[in-house]
Amino acid sequence: MQSTEPTQSSGNAILTLLEPLAPEWVPGWLVGLTAIGVSVGIVTGMIALIAMFSVWLERKVSAHIQCRYGPMYPGGWHGWAVVLADGLKLIMKEDMVPKGADRVLFVLAPALVLASIFGAMAAFPFAPGFYFARMDLGIFMILAITSTTTIGVVMAGWASNSKWSLFGAMREAAQVVAYEIPLGISLMVPLMTLGTFSLLEASEAQAGGFGIFRWAIFQNPVCIPAFIIFWIAALAETKRAPFDLPEAESELVAGFMTEYSGIRWSFFFMEEYAAMFLMSVVAAVFFFGGFESPATWILRANGVEGGIVFGLVCAVTIVLKAFFGVFLMMWLRWTLPRVRIDQVMTMGYKYLTPLALLLVLLAGVWQTVAVAIEN
Amino acid sequence: MTATKEYIGNIWDALKSTVVGMRITGKYLLKKPITVQYPDERLPIPDRYRGIHYLEQEKCIDCLACARACPIDCIEMDAIRHGKELEWVSFTLDYQKCMFCELCVYPCPKDCIHMGTEFALVTTDRSELNFDLLSYKGMAREAKIRMREADAKKAAKEAAKKAAADEKTAEADAPSATDGPDEARADSDGEGAG
Repeated sequence: MQSTEPTQSSGNAILTLLEPLAPEWVPGWLVGLTAIGVSVGIVTGMIALIAMFSVWLERKVSAHIQCRYGPMYPGGWHGWAVVLADGLKLIMKEDMVPKGADRVLFVLAPALVLASIFGAMAAFPFAPGFYFARMDLGIFMILAITSTTTIGVVMAGWASNSKWSLFGAMREAAQVVAYEIPLGISLMVPLMTLGTFSLLEASEAQAGGFGIFRWAIFQNPVCIPAFIIFWIAALAETKRAPFDLPEAESELVAGFMTEYSGIRWSFFFMEEYAAMFLMSVVAAVFFFGGFESPATWILRANGVEGGIVFGLVCAVTIVLKAFFGVFLMMWLRWTLPRVRIDQVMTMGYKYLTPLALLLVLLAGVWQTVAVAIEN
Repeated sequence: MTATKEYIGNIWDALKSTVVGMRITGKYLLKKPITVQYPDERLPIPDRYRGIHYLEQEKCIDCLACARACPIDCIEMDAIRHGKELEWVSFTLDYQKCMFCELCVYPCPKDCIHMGTEFALVTTDRSELNFDLLSYKGMAREAKIRMREADAKKAAKEAAKKAAADEKTAEADAPSATDGPDEARADSDGEGAG
């Protein structure tokens, strides 16, 4: 995690906050360590909160799509505390390593899976002035680190010494290799439109037009099919239905997670929901305006830019957009049946990849023409 | 050319079917759930539902007709008779066995055993499934009153009889020939008692 060219005093908002507050006698490295500790704490809490809210949302959305209520009793209001009960149950469960499993890899795999999303989460900016790692290549970092999840999943599948787990891991590997390509290439379209790899700058590039009409999908209509491709690839990346072949409850028990229980299993679970959130954030930032919404547009029009209120509005905007994306993923999950592995491969290699390449070409032509008209 | 057509057709089909599917699930998402929050709300149960029995104990005459009709012998009853009145000891129905066939209901001469609408048989122990259908043990208050009244009547009658007999014995220093054999026996009883 290294910012290529920090435009502010540091790449971490906590450090920027702490530096002027620290007394003279405190060494610089201690301030740095404190900032790291606080950032890690915030990211950990964030992942846990996102996973908890998403689990609750998933239960409610799936229930209502099937004309049920879902959890209603725990905690009073629509069963909000069901996730706390779940968490308590998972922590108290027996921590088992099956006989014949590769113990070291088995224990390491969930940690690696969680670490990948943990690292990627650091690149997520809450607000223009609040980030843990200001990176000019933020989207590169997110795509690179999230794809290391596959290593953890393959490790889990191999170490479990179970045929279901190995099948799941193999499917995950095949799927991720196939879908990384369209995922990256389809993101090239908004990247060309906005002209930046940084999440913060991408959001700034979409400011104006009542907070809506300068979004990337309005700036360049090629972004709309690009978003569809990105979204399908993101579903495959996050192992969500209809691409939940690595897990494949009805055929592989739980795929690579079959042999896991308790808190280790919940690590995979947290990774899945955090990855969904992060993919939704990427979609929100690069296709749907990032921090820009009518609310931020009004604030900007009144000359409020920066400060706590503006930051809060930005954070609420991005989180709402991201959770709408999470909701969309859930909606798709409870609509579409799981596809076969050969269909997954066909879709990835024969449809999404060439189409994404074609869209990059079209986006280039559009940008060239647009620039030519402007001049 | 057909391959290209098929390729584009596949893309179109995939997008269209996804949109159609999402429209259907979206419609259901906004609908009110059709399920009921069970222990709090319950769906109406038809009148002729065969659930857990209930007994109109006051009417029951301990005739054992239902127990005899039961094909799996799950009904057991016990009561002590005090003349016409019953002192109830138990009336148990073993729901580990009961198959809710309603055959116990038809033979009842007093129409006092019925099948109710309650169906929840959740217990933490099997022995708890042996339900006692009695709403009270021993004798009913009315029965006690009736019995006391009957006893009082009887006692009064007997007292009257006794008084009459005593009178008679008092008078019967010289028994008349018109006395019937009954009175003669009463006489002898009275004499025996005296």
